[in-house]
Amino acid sequence: MKKQIRAFIDQLKIKSIQFIITASFTLVTLLVMLFVGVMLYSKFSETSEENAILNTQQMIEQVHYNLEDYLASMTGLFELVDDKIHQSKQFPDGNLTKQLEMILETREDIVSMAVFSKYGELLAVVPQADMRRNTRLTEQSWFQSARRDPYDISFSLPHIENLFKGPYTWVVSMSRGTTIAQGGEKADAVLLVDVNFKKLDNLFQRVSLGKKGYVYIIDLAGNIVYHPQQPMIYAGLKNENRSIALQNSYGSYVDESTGERRLITIKTVEHIGWKIVGVSYMDEIATTKQEISGFMFWLLVFVIVTVLFLLTYISARISRPIKMLEKSMEKVERGDFTVNLSIKGSHEVEQLSRRFNVMVKRVRELMDQVILEQEQKRKNELEVLQAQINPHFLYNTLNSVVRMVGIGKNEEVITMITSLSRLFRISLSRGKNIISVQEELEHVRHYLIIQKMRYKNQFEYAIDAQEEVLRCKTLKLILQPIVENAIYHGIEKMADPGMIWIKVEKIDDNLLFQIRDNGLGMPEHVRANILTGQYKSEDGSGVGTRNVHERIQLFFGTEYGLEIESELENGTNVKIWLPVLKDEE
Amino acid sequence: MSMKRTTLAGGLVLLLLTIMVAVSSCTVATDDADKKKNVALIVKMKHGDYWNTVKMAAEVAAKEFDVNLNFYAPDYEEDILGQVELIKQAIQDGTDAIVLAPSDPMALETAAQPRVGKSIPVIIIDSEMESAKAKSFIGTDQYDSGLKAGERLAQLVGESGKVAILSYVTKAGNAEHREKGLLEALRRHPGITIVAKEYTASDKQLASDLTSQLITEHPDLDGIAALNATLSLGAAEEIDRRGLAGSVRIVAIDSPSEVLSYIQEGVIQATITQQPFTMGYLGVKHAVDSLRGVQVPARVDTGTKVIDLENMFWSENQKLLFPFVK
Repeated sequence: MKKQIRAFIDQLKIKSIQFIITASFTLVTLLVMLFVGVMLYSKFSETSEENAILNTQQMIEQVHYNLEDYLASMTGLFELVDDKIHQSKQFPDGNLTKQLEMILETREDIVSMAVFSKYGELLAVVPQADMRRNTRLTEQSWFQSARRDPYDISFSLPHIENLFKGPYTWVVSMSRGTTIAQGGEKADAVLLVDVNFKKLDNLFQRVSLGKKGYVYIIDLAGNIVYHPQQPMIYAGLKNENRSIALQNSYGSYVDESTGERRLITIKTVEHIGWKIVGVSYMDEIATTKQEISGFMFWLLVFVIVTVLFLLTYISARISRPIKMLEKSMEKVERGDFTVNLSIKGSHEVEQLSRRFNVMVKRVRELMDQVILEQEQKRKNELEVLQAQINPHFLYNTLNSVVRMVGIGKNEEVITMITSLSRLFRISLSRGKNIISVQEELEHVRHYLIIQKMRYKNQFEYAIDAQEEVLRCKTLKLILQPIVENAIYHGIEKMADPGMIWIKVEKIDDNLLFQIRDNGLGMPEHVRANILTGQYKSEDGSGVGTRNVHERIQLFFGTEYGLEIESELENGTNVKIWLPVLKDEE
Repeated sequence: MSMKRTTLAGGLVLLLLTIMVAVSSCTVATDDADKKKNVALIVKMKHGDYWNTVKMAAEVAAKEFDVNLNFYAPDYEEDILGQVELIKQAIQDGTDAIVLAPSDPMALETAAQPRVGKSIPVIIIDSEMESAKAKSFIGTDQYDSGLKAGERLAQLVGESGKVAILSYVTKAGNAEHREKGLLEALRRHPGITIVAKEYTASDKQLASDLTSQLITEHPDLDGIAALNATLSLGAAEEIDRRGLAGSVRIVAIDSPSEVLSYIQEGVIQATITQQPFTMGYLGVKHAVDSLRGVQVPARVDTGTKVIDLENMFWSENQKLLFPFVK
């Protein structure tokens, strides 16, 4: 399990520069954003709550002002009506009725104006209307308060006006004791002005506190004067928790009794003792808070995504050259020293790649040097081998010379010794590896002369070279081992006279030597394997041929070397390919 | 080169930010409007205080729960087929829910709309009907209101007397249940005899004529139970005209302002109230709840109250009887 986790983490490349840069910067951005977000949010919600409270209070002030204004205008009207009644000499008279009707016309919110005797008998009413039966008006609150306190205008709670025939209307009754002149005597009476509650209802209905908030009004005893959800409350479908409004007459309070957080703002209208209560819902403030936090969230997501992209890009720019460097090093590790970096990037990385290139170059030089030394060593060994050929040959030749001296063939002895001397001179060539084709041909010719004498003219030979190739250069002693093989393995065991052709020509830019004999030839498996060294005969033959091949390849490259064609009973043709080397080299 | 790229990337980020702020501030505004649901209120009749109260209450609820309310009603309560057509019309208008006061217990089945009761929830108000398609019933327990009317009549008449019953012909079960309750109450008072049980269409003039005929046939009549508001108004008119107010007591059902006016005048002695406001309001509320997948109660009894001259102007009754500021 632990291993799997580690493998997974490795897969993520947690330790990579790219990851570290991206992760750490993202984290920092996230933290900064969160910090700023939280700060902004708390500041905002604080302000929005303060604003909401202030707003509600201002709203309530406004309602309060409007209501007082309206009540004041109503009181003024009431006083005016009362004045008119006082002024009339005989109550009721037609003139007074006319004046009152005029007042009524200007105020559409007045339902009726009426004067009752202290026993509740109707004395006058504007507009003219019949009394209903069973009104029980003396029991009604407006009448009782006018009787109880005849010098103050009393405002009743909204109620149904049931005095006069016509539609039942919700009214607020204004009433006060008054005196009327009847038959020259003053009599106590009650003046009633019924104001349509609709006007007040409209006044309050316009007020809104947020989407859900509202304003309601109660009297000192807690009776609802106005509530926007009046019908629902009357029908028992809704309830209003009035306890806070009942206990307090001024201020803002938070009420959580209904399960919702509500801001209750209260203001009392002094004159009539009504309390204006504003209700606003804290969750609406929270809604704006939610909007803000939602916005913050998306902003955060956006910024993080952007930062991620940006950082991925930037960190990739930083880490890519390093990755390339790593790849190149891996190549070098695998043995490819041809790598040459040209990485563009930051100064440090460019510097690093430059140093890397220098280092690789140095390593490459060192390795070349090692290879060169190795090759040199092998060449030396080969040269030793080359030298070893000579004593054996010298011994054989000298033996022949001795034999010929014994039988008195002086002429031939001279020829042989001369050839031998020439042969060695070319062999040594003052230690040079490269000699002219002419010298090489000369060398093999002397060799053939000697061998032909030793083999008692058992074979003939022919050397054919174009004039122009004679001055070309060649590796020395490449023909002699091939010819030696042709004699020992091709011709020596033949009954018929043998023949060896040597031909040099220039083909394209290459030099071609051909050593052909008409000897025994060799089987295919021998031919195919001589050059690779896989074939080893008991007497060590073929080693010379292979040495020639290797020497040529070491000197001139693998595209040069030997090709052997052979047919049993028909002879062998060895081709030697060399580059054309001019004098100056 | 590298500097240029950085500024370019920075500019890009700023641009994207601006776009995002613009987009997010726009999306808030466009969401609401198209989601608003339509609720159809289909009642029995276009006019009358009772149905107006239902309609107004439904409007209040529609505003509160943020739905569109479409009002449908035939011209006459007896127009059963007309109401069925209106149900079809409401469906055609693409309503999402129906609040129905059925004139006919089979109205939904007659309308034969496959989506009704399935994707379109139906809330029944006022008149009970036995339909699997209806989700909820909100209304008066009619048997109970009949029972209360009977008890009050017996109390008014005393232990012995002659009473008549004015009932109306309807397919909906209301009259039937009221009558059952009324008879059950009167049965408990063996001294009271039912001298007549008349059925008529719900028409003031017809009721008035019928009352006149009853008085002529039974001059010693002590009381009349009128099983709906229209009938009680007809009866009251006739009794008032003959100056028999108080001697022939009338007990009514329902409380339009004319009935209340007659109560104040002492012509009608008592009435059993219904709660049309509650029906209209809860009807829409339950319809909205059903649309939102909230479980609604299968049955809501809106309750009844006996109103007479004594209590009609009590503060709490004022609010009940005159629910709207006009």
